[in-house]
Amino acid sequence: MRSISGIDIAGGIVVITILALAPMLAASNYLTGVLTVCAIYGIWASSWDFMSGLTGRENFGHSLFIGAGAYTAGFLATIWSTNPWLSLPMAVGIAIAFSLLVGFPTLRLRGPYFALAMLSASAILQRLCLIFWEYTGGEEGLYGLDPLIKNPLHYYWFVLGVLAITVVILTLLAQSHWGLLLRAIRGDEATCQAAGINVTFYKIASLMISAGFAGLGGALYAHYQLQVSPPLFSVVVSITVIIMVYVGGIGSIYGAAIAAILLTLLTEMLRGFGEYRLWIYTLTLMLILFFLPNGLIAPLWRRLTERLR
Amino acid sequence: MTVLLEVDGVTKRFGGLTAVKSASFTLQKGELTGILGPNGAGKTTLFNILTGFMAPTTGSIAFNGEPLRQLAPYKIVNRGMARTFQLTRPFVGMNLLENVLVACLSPRAHGDKDKEERARHLLDQVGLGGRGSEPVETLPYGDLRRLEIARALATRPDLLLLDEPFAGLGSSEIEPLAQLIRRLHREENLTILLIEHKLREFMALVSRVIAMNFGEIIAVGPPDEIVRNPKVIEAYIGKTEADHASA
Repeated sequence: MRSISGIDIAGGIVVITILALAPMLAASNYLTGVLTVCAIYGIWASSWDFMSGLTGRENFGHSLFIGAGAYTAGFLATIWSTNPWLSLPMAVGIAIAFSLLVGFPTLRLRGPYFALAMLSASAILQRLCLIFWEYTGGEEGLYGLDPLIKNPLHYYWFVLGVLAITVVILTLLAQSHWGLLLRAIRGDEATCQAAGINVTFYKIASLMISAGFAGLGGALYAHYQLQVSPPLFSVVVSITVIIMVYVGGIGSIYGAAIAAILLTLLTEMLRGFGEYRLWIYTLTLMLILFFLPNGLIAPLWRRLTERLR
Repeated sequence: MTVLLEVDGVTKRFGGLTAVKSASFTLQKGELTGILGPNGAGKTTLFNILTGFMAPTTGSIAFNGEPLRQLAPYKIVNRGMARTFQLTRPFVGMNLLENVLVACLSPRAHGDKDKEERARHLLDQVGLGGRGSEPVETLPYGDLRRLEIARALATRPDLLLLDEPFAGLGSSEIEPLAQLIRRLHREENLTILLIEHKLREFMALVSRVIAMNFGEIIAVGPPDEIVRNPKVIEAYIGKTEADHASA
């Protein structure tokens, strides 16, 4: 992986500045809300990319961590009525606990077990939410969460800050010796073993980091919607996140975050097309993935800045 | 001399096939030993068992006086037994330096402050000095073998296992690689066990040969004795042509 250069940092600052100022353009709470969701998807996509993009072990149930984080926030607000800020660290902790539960038995194995276990675990959690409706509110979910910050614009800036910090931390980790080992695991597990590397440890540890950030994003989402419901655990959420990473350029982290923002904006902008919305959205994705199998954002940025490095 | 590796009655069965049959031998510290045998003799299976990539059906292995049973491959590496693969398996998408650096990050390799510097030094040692930033994909076969050796050396092995290091190499590449192996043996005081199925280059390199055929050890001894051993000649050339073998 190429190291970060000045132009990357400059690019990052410009993008964050534009995103921070974007709500001023329209002065509408609608746009601020959409951008908040964009930034949250950015956290989800970059956290998926950190584990699965670097190690090559596809996680088909990132919604497990997202939903776990969101429901943690939901339970804390509705049942225990604690300080809403407490839900952020708690969501991180619970999501990490779920990552150990699934990762520990399945990441020791090679093959599709991990991907399948993640997919089923998220589906099971979605069902459990319906079965234990007395506690979870069933289809309706949990209502009445307190906002973390009352002013929507300030909350957006806070979430954007969390996204920026997430991308910086995950990028620094990916560029470190740690990231090198994760990419080596993607290359060849047997060679990693022959090099004396405890492959299982690094896979589980990277899943824990990935889950922690996903859970954090889940709690931020819960405190934006002020409500949580079972579709948070759905396969659709997981697949949406994976598509965002592929469009961004797998393993790049910043690409995943930017693709998440652009694709979330795209779905909103296409609302005017009514029932044709999904057609256009899906067609766009298929064209991108067909003609640009390495993704759009990261390869584009590399080409644009090639001469400036 | 002290015993470094003790293999006792190791057998590996795959269903009805016995790939390794009750193999027993010892390696002394500082030895350069070769395992000789035609293709399918069970040499690589034996290597895979020694390095923990396969579990033996029966039998035991002691390394540095400690039993190795049921240990994961990376744990065996961190006890001081490193290997290369017959089909080289580099990390694609990484350059040469990064390929070696991965092994420099293993627990046994720890202790260097500057791991990049050590990886560069290891590339120097195997004759790939100054080429750290080259991509691994375009590397010729002979250099890939050297890269594998550098990666194994990074884990500071007491015993280095080389799986057919000369396979697929041109004649101009074989002698320099043999020299590298000799130098590592001499200068680093490494105990080396290597597999080969061709006799020629191998005989000038090792001081002791363990000959295998159909999963069994058929002879152990110095190379000049082994080439005259009737069982070895039979395994290689077959009975009817045995007379031609002495020529």
